[in-house]
Amino acid sequence: MDNTKLLNVYKTSVLARRFEARVIQMAMAGEMPPSLHAGAGQEVCQTAAIAALNPEDYILYGHRGIAYMIARGTSLSAILADMAGKVGGTNNGKGGVMHVVDVPHGILGESGTLGGGFVMSVGVGMALKRKMPGRVVVYFFGDGTSNRGTFHESLNWATVQRLPCIYFCENNGFAVSVRTSASTSVQNIADRAAGYGIPGVVVDGTDPVAVYEVMEKAVERARAGQGPTLIEAKVTRLLGHYLADQQTYRPDAATILTTKDPLPKFQESLLRVGILTNALVKQIEDDAQRQIDEAVATVNAAPLLAPEAALQDLYA
Amino acid sequence: MALITYSKAINQALEEELRRDQDVILYGQDVAEWGGIFKVTDGLFEKFGPDRVFNSPISENVMVGAGVGAAMMGLRPVVELQFADFIFTAGDEVFFKAGMWRFMHGGAFKIPLVVRCPSGGSGFGPEHSACPEAFVMHAPGLLCAVPSTPEDAKGLLKTAIRMDNPVMYFEHKLLYAMRGEVPDGDYTTPFGKAVVRRQGDAVTIVAWQEMLRRSLAAADRLSKDGIEVEIVDPRTLNPFDRETIIESVKKTGACLVVEEAYRTLGVGAEIGAMLAEHALPYLDKPFKRLAIPDVPLPTSPQLVDAVVPSVDAIYKAVKDLVG
Ligand SMILES: Cc1ncc(C[n+]2csc(CCOP(=O)(O)OP(=O)(O)O)c2C)c(N)n1
Repeated sequence: MDNTKLLNVYKTSVLARRFEARVIQMAMAGEMPPSLHAGAGQEVCQTAAIAALNPEDYILYGHRGIAYMIARGTSLSAILADMAGKVGGTNNGKGGVMHVVDVPHGILGESGTLGGGFVMSVGVGMALKRKMPGRVVVYFFGDGTSNRGTFHESLNWATVQRLPCIYFCENNGFAVSVRTSASTSVQNIADRAAGYGIPGVVVDGTDPVAVYEVMEKAVERARAGQGPTLIEAKVTRLLGHYLADQQTYRPDAATILTTKDPLPKFQESLLRVGILTNALVKQIEDDAQRQIDEAVATVNAAPLLAPEAALQDLYA
Repeated sequence: MALITYSKAINQALEEELRRDQDVILYGQDVAEWGGIFKVTDGLFEKFGPDRVFNSPISENVMVGAGVGAAMMGLRPVVELQFADFIFTAGDEVFFKAGMWRFMHGGAFKIPLVVRCPSGGSGFGPEHSACPEAFVMHAPGLLCAVPSTPEDAKGLLKTAIRMDNPVMYFEHKLLYAMRGEVPDGDYTTPFGKAVVRRQGDAVTIVAWQEMLRRSLAAADRLSKDGIEVEIVDPRTLNPFDRETIIESVKKTGACLVVEEAYRTLGVGAEIGAMLAEHALPYLDKPFKRLAIPDVPLPTSPQLVDAVVPSVDAIYKAVKDLVG
């Protein structure tokens, strides 16, 4: 990954982290519904994976945070408006933060039922193969989601038809309160790739360069018509499953905030090689702050969606 | 006009639409070389090749879900489920992905998907014989077609394939061999327009597919007794043409719904409620339903006959009504 890309991954991760913190603050203050599943700890991984795509490629994402959309270029105010039920969002009050959609930026949406993205990705793959050859679709999902039956049906189908689909699992060790080890038959989700005869790769999700490189290979394979790859990034969910989650099932919930956060580690590594300087760090923080303030101001000034919106958008 | 079977009419609609629009694709289990479990897709693989017509794995969730994904990216998939009952096997994909994906993403996508569902034809047992259209009619976001003649089977399917909304298209297994006149050339049949299959003044019967056929047979017998029933075929359940039924009830003052599905909260229940809301002053007899008495469909023919409305049962129900 070249330095510009790496620096961009850093900037986007910082923006996603700070934006999410602001959203949490606003939700806790009752200024919007507390519907976000915080992505803190997983942004570097999500952003690095997306950095390996072209702007014309597509993603289907899971519920863990908003870095996906920011990395693809969706405006902060649109995401915030979706959360707040205001005019200016992407889904007209129908999907909140769960269904942020931005087709020009290749964001095809989210299935509220976990694992729905698997089946959708197969159809997207069929369409890309026929109508837009050379493009790929990535589905981001959690370790818990890999236990849905749709995982099996879709990986089998995408493999047998050699579809340009990439399956990117963010394994944070939990599905809400349940540890992966208690719910999942394999040690690595990527081991399941063997069942489909496709590459299964485990990668350290806190290492953006490593994530980028495995994605690059998977993308190359998909573009070449060789079919899917199953990538599993080991990551840490820094916060609770949802905003009010007390995490009583997680004795180390407080300490991991400092010991397992990939962002300071990433920053240090960039400082060490000179891609970042202290001045640049500050500039990036200030820049993020400014963008967030602007988005908050825009959405605060925006009107609430009219109730009639509830009756729109069902049929074309 | 040509005299062809209901099955051939569906086949022709598929062939014509596959030819007309490169974005139309057709897939399902066994639909390629073998022509499908009911032979409806016979010959299409040979004409259009494996890119357009292909066999799918036994993966109902992906069959429907991928249809939604492909549709939102600009293809026009036609998916053949082997049995209509399997809409529940693919329940998430039918009701949430197909029915709601556009809505929950604020109208960002069009979903031009058709799911073909061979229904009814009792004798295949509880999981292979149902007519589950009431479940679809209940669900927001899904259009629902129930063609009863070869002409409508072809015309409604062509309309469905050209629509930008997901359509659950129920083709009745007992009608596959039924012959009927089909117009020559390209034609489509509109959604949301019921048709009066027989005119009369005694009772309005609402029925479709096999129950329509039985109602028409019952009507012939009733006619010999001097009773003329009016029979309305809704053709699509969503959109649903209330007006044609209400107009008929204004004339007859009585309504009987005959359906090959569970009684409670069936299509008949909706029609009864609709008449209570909008046409009560015109009803001078109690609204009546004939339906399956809330048991799954058994397999043995004599048990099936015990629960599915028969010509006799329809005849008797009308006699009781006009009493
Ligand atoms: C089919 C389905 N089952 C359950 C849920 C409720 N639910 C939402 S997120 C979640 C946990 C998902 O775990 P995982 O896939 O590991 O992702 P993570 O939350 O850890 O990022 C559950 C059970 C759902 N939305 N859909």
